[in-house]
Amino acid sequence: MKVSIRKIARKEQEQVIIECVEITKEIRDIHSYITAKGIELSGTADGQHMQRFCLEDVHYFEAVDEKVFACADKQVYEIKMRLYEAETTYKEYHFVRCSKSVVLNLMKLESISPALNGRFFAHMKNGEKLIISRQYAGALKRIVMGGI
Amino acid sequence: MKDNKDFLEPIMAFLVCTACITILEGVVGMILYPEQKFGYDAFLSPPLFGFCSVLLGIVTYSKKELSVKQVLIRRGIHLLLIEGLILGVNYVAGIIFEPLVFWMLVAAIALVFVTVYVVLWLNDKRSAAMFNEQLKRYQQQILETENRLD
Repeated sequence: MKVSIRKIARKEQEQVIIECVEITKEIRDIHSYITAKGIELSGTADGQHMQRFCLEDVHYFEAVDEKVFACADKQVYEIKMRLYEAETTYKEYHFVRCSKSVVLNLMKLESISPALNGRFFAHMKNGEKLIISRQYAGALKRIVMGGI
Repeated sequence: MKDNKDFLEPIMAFLVCTACITILEGVVGMILYPEQKFGYDAFLSPPLFGFCSVLLGIVTYSKKELSVKQVLIRRGIHLLLIEGLILGVNYVAGIIFEPLVFWMLVAAIALVFVTVYVVLWLNDKRSAAMFNEQLKRYQQQILETENRLD
């Protein structure tokens, strides 16, 4: 694939145009990557000051008592978003629902292991252990394993 | 979203349970009652008990996510129900066991129960290993695409 970069003067006119014969999986991956790159969220880490952080640093979103938290590499931020909104908005950036209260980032998932009653543990790359409920385990497997 | 696991797990439990009961009946029968002979109808008892045992597993089912403690309590109830069913059926059929045989039977039922769950857990472990392998490929594929763009 030919790649060219053209410099322009104005920041607000920056754009990426993909020219392709047909929209393949690879093109969709490129599109996801470009749109995800630089996505910033804002949230409060100390309950007062709004801070900005990158979506790609988020390990998972968790809903606790009507509040939604984004657990990033070094900090936990409270965000003004419902969990289902985070799930649908960031679905194409590899965020998947794994239980009633958690949406995890597949790119930050290290491995899974079986738990009791058909559930699984999700071992995240930051060492945290989340529960994958049986209700969502199937959907998660289908995303990663496809038709297997 | 409904998962195949909801249907496959009881079927697998039934098959493992039936196999374990068949082996157990054979071994215990040869040791305790070697002179006893049975007709073809005896072949039906393992699948029948297997089916009833899996059916009693309804006590472990919940739409809500159960805690580990709740799961263990429900499994305990499940085991008690199976013990009650098998010993009850024998009692109704007029079979009275000597104390030693009675406790051996109780222990054997518990052994089959544990074996079924161990097999199901091993199956989950195998499925987790396959998932982990595929997860690495999935992440690798995405990273490769990203690296090509960087």
